[in-house]
Parts: sequence; structure tokens; C-alpha cells
Amino acid sequence: MKKLSVFQVATKSLLRKKARSLLTVLGIAMAAWVLVSLFGFNRGYEASLNKDIDNLGFQMLIVAKGCPYEAATLMLKGGTGLKYMDESIAASVAAEPEVEGVTPMLMQVVFDPNKGESGGLAAFLGVDPASFPKLKSALPFKAGGWFSEPEAAAAVFGYEVAELEQREVGDLYLIPEKEVEVKVVGILERTGTQDDGTIFLPLRTVQKVFGVKELTSIGIKVNKNADMKAFEDKLYKLPDVQVVSLSQVKTTIMTLVSTARVMVFSIALIAILIAMMGVVNTVLMSVMERRQEIGILKSMGALAGDVFKLIWLETVILCAGGGLVGTGLALVTARLTDVLVRNLLPYSPSGGLVAIDAGLVLMTLGVVTAIGLASGVYPSWKAARMRPLDTIRGEVES
Amino acid sequence: MRNSNAKALAAATAGALLTAAVLLLHAAVGCDLNDPDRDVKRLFPGSTGYKTLYVSIAKRGGDELQKKIEARLGDKFTGLFETADVPYTMYEVYKGADLIGYIHGVNQKGTYGGIQVFLALDTSGTIRGFYFQKLTSRAAKAFRALSFGEQFQGLSLEDFYKYDVVSGTEDPAGPISRIKNPDPGSEKDFRAALRAAKKNLILVDEFLLGNAHLKYFKG
Repeated sequence: MKKLSVFQVATKSLLRKKARSLLTVLGIAMAAWVLVSLFGFNRGYEASLNKDIDNLGFQMLIVAKGCPYEAATLMLKGGTGLKYMDESIAASVAAEPEVEGVTPMLMQVVFDPNKGESGGLAAFLGVDPASFPKLKSALPFKAGGWFSEPEAAAAVFGYEVAELEQREVGDLYLIPEKEVEVKVVGILERTGTQDDGTIFLPLRTVQKVFGVKELTSIGIKVNKNADMKAFEDKLYKLPDVQVVSLSQVKTTIMTLVSTARVMVFSIALIAILIAMMGVVNTVLMSVMERRQEIGILKSMGALAGDVFKLIWLETVILCAGGGLVGTGLALVTARLTDVLVRNLLPYSPSGGLVAIDAGLVLMTLGVVTAIGLASGVYPSWKAARMRPLDTIRGEVES
Repeated sequence: MRNSNAKALAAATAGALLTAAVLLLHAAVGCDLNDPDRDVKRLFPGSTGYKTLYVSIAKRGGDELQKKIEARLGDKFTGLFETADVPYTMYEVYKGADLIGYIHGVNQKGTYGGIQVFLALDTSGTIRGFYFQKLTSRAAKAFRALSFGEQFQGLSLEDFYKYDVVSGTEDPAGPISRIKNPDPGSEKDFRAALRAAKKNLILVDEFLLGNAHLKYFKG
């Protein structure tokens, strides 16, 4: 006669009530799914935000005085400036000892009747050919390169805008409203940042074409050894400008996100508690239904410890199974979660928002299995203390 | 029984998730009507509904089919919007249960940017409407004028086969030669519009009309 291991007996017992076991596993899987996705989001969001900030190439941005949150959005999303500032500010900032480099920028927006359903906005970022490429040296080119002439009728297209407009190096582009032709001299690789959707033109060209002499922003790269806080205070003394440091931007965004995160973590905790109660209920019900079987096991020589081990193992199998399904689901749907979360948040960095790695998967499996061990204690103890004669007679045990 | 229900539920959930993922992946490419409900009604005033089909050369025949289509066009496919995996969105238009026509748009490279040319066709593949959904050109106003699009009405792939998209000539001169360029200074955009119309008709013939017009192709 073939001898069955405790694991086999436990598995067989669970398979006898397939639907109930499946639903319990699904309950745990949902909790594990939420847990992995949330921790993955926690890691992914911050990592992507840091990457976005690094890709900017400068640590501080000066914009004309306005709301700091709008300024932060401008910095990260590449929108338009609210006000203009005098070009001389760039020179005075560059003279500061803490500064490694500055780059003046002018963002302009025109209405493009050919964009979208009933037209849309086309944004152009005027950048200084001498300083901007140096600060943004990490920007990779798919084809071509930066313009070098300060007043060239030339443009560098971000990856997505080049794809949308079907432009290649050497092609022409017509600035809407202004009817000015520029030649595409470079196309950037996909960076996953706002640069993908930007059309870069030389600063002087933008100033000439749009008839604006001022700037909308100045990017500043600070020396590594400089005291950022002291330098920021110094910049605030400049008239009518707003200083946005990347540490401020990051703190503001992370504060906004953490509020939402605390709420979602609370929901996840409730989901885990509900799943845990579900496991206790399922296993306890199973124990009560199998009273006679447990009694027979005991009368055949099984010790209380053996019965405890059997029931405990069933609980662990349920939880570990749910954990595996849940983490698998989280991995498979990470991209979908990314898209959903991106639609819900007021600001999302351009990289992946949900980062799930092996460590996180193992940690979740560990947590869920531990929950299983804890949930299984009471039903296992209840089963272990059943008296064989009482259970075989079918008497109700209180 | 309960088992089969659970399996069906799991399969349906997985299917829904996969479909959502596939749609998300495809959302950024292709050439769709800006507002299908409104645009279908405008192009086919008597219509009561439409069906959207997604097809691609890669799925229907791969490199072999692309070569065949290029031969019918008389030009090679180039650029991001002329690869074998571009998903073409085709609309079948219905009046009640009756199919009354098709709408299809293609992307085409223009002088200053991407051009999107849409054709409304009857069930035999004859053009009943032509318009630019997207066009960046110095002569955009003239090209978008109704009078320009009306010149395409009544033409079919049979007419376009005689038009060489590379040289921009029709031999012998026929209905395509009679289409007037509204702005001689924008010849490149004019030719792009004709090439887009021919490409559009070939794709509709291949994917929707069962190559009904292939017999007119003189290779």
C-alpha cells in the first residue's frame, strides 16, 4: 500500500472542496496582488521621478514669479511659462561662484489647426546652442545632432513628435501660424521624458520668429560642492523671479503622492485582514466537517501534533497558493496597473510607475505565508484537541 | 459543473485583461477617424451603424503581401507609417443590416509633416468622399477645400492603376490627370495626396474587397 505524506494528505483534503479552496486562494491572491502592486508602485514612482529629474540636466530652474506648483509643472511637463523675465538675469546668475552652467530658455506655443480633432497647441522650446547641449549631454540622438548656429532655421525633434509628424533629418517643418520653415537637423532617441514631445529650436530663432526678447526660464547646474540651500536663498533676492529647485519639486510631489498612498495602504491592510478571516473561516469549516475523519485518524494512532501539522499545512498551502497566484497576477498586470495609476494621479513621471522585482515577490510570498501560519493556528489547535470517541460518535463538540 | 464555471470565469478575466493590454499597445499607432460616430454619419448620412476592423499586412501575409502591395502601388513603402505592422483601421458602414460602404484613412509623408487622407467608398470601391484629416502645408486651405476633394468622387482603383506615384504622371492621360493641383507651388503635397489615395484604395481592395480590382493591374 502506498504511503501518503502529510503534504499529500493536506492537498487531497483541499481538493475535495475545490470551489471553496479556489475561492479562498482567490481571496488571498487579490490581497497579494494589491500588496505587490502597491509596494511596486512605491518603488517605481520614486525611481521614475528621480530619473526624470536627472534627465533634466540641471538642478534649479528660475522662472518669472508665479505659483510655485505651476512652475513645478512647467519644469517637469514642459508647459509654457506664465510670465517672461529679462535676459540679463541669465548673465547675472552665471556670474555666481556656485554655478557650473546656466542655459536660458524660451517656450512659445501656437495654435496648430492640424493637430487633433479641432486643432491643438504646438510648443517650441528655444534653447541656447552653446549651453543647452552641454547641460543635456545625456540626451541621445537617433539621427543628426544639435544645431550650432544661434539663429539657424533648424530644429531638433523629440522622438514622439518626429514620429507623429513623420519627420526625418533633412525634412522641413512649418511653424504653424508663423508660416516659417525650419529644417530638421536632429531627432532624439526616445527618452521617456517630456523631451520626446518637444520641438527644440535655437533661442534666437524663437525670439525672432515670435517677436519675444525675454526668457521663460533659466536652467541652472550647480557645482557639486555648493550649498544648495544658501544658493537658493541668494537667488530669491533676484527681483520678480521664482526659484524652483528639484529637491522642492520632488518633496512637493512625493507629499501629494504619499497622502494617497497612505489611504491605499490602509485599504490593502483591510483586504489582507479580510483574506485572513476568510482563511480561518474556510479551514475551520473544513475541520468541523471532517470531525469524524480526524477522530478516525486519532484512533489509528495520529497524535494531536500530527493533526495540528496537517491542518496547519492545509492553511499554509492555501495562503502560499494565493500568494503565488497574486504575485503572478501583479507581474502580468503591472503594465495595466501602471496605466490605471497614471490616469488617476495628478502628475506621473515618465518612466515605469510599478517596479516589481524578485525581492518584492519573495517578500510578499513570505508575508502571505506568515499570514497563513498565523491564520492556521486556531483551526489546527481546535482540530488537534478533538477527542476521537466524541467525534466518531458524531457528538457535537462545543 | 462548478469547475467549468470557474475555468470560464478565469478565461474571461484573462481575456479581458489581455484585450485591454493589446488595445493599449495599439492605441498610439494607425490612422483612426477623430470622431467615428460623427464622421461616419457625415460621410454616409443615411447610415445607421458601423463596424471597426483592424488589419495589418504583417498579420495577413507579411513580407510577401507587402511586396505585392508595393508592386500594385508602383513604389516602395518607406518610413514609420509604412511598415508591415502598421494596424489599418477600416470602417464598414451599415444601413440597417445592409453594408453600404467603407471608410479608410492612411498616413502619408508630406512636405512639412504627416498627412492623413481618408476615403469614403461605396461597396464596389468607388470613391464617394475624399478629405484630409491632418495636413500641414502652405496650401492647406486650398487642399482642404471641398472642390479639391470632389475631384476624386467617382474614381476607383481601376483609374489609379494608370497613375505612376513616383513620376506623378498618368499614361495615357485620364481622370487622374484631370485632378487639378490647387497650388502649383505645393506639387509635393499634391502628389502625396494622390499617392495616399492610391495606397488607400489598394489596401481597401486587399483587405475588404477580396482584390476585386486586381484584374485591372497590369504589373
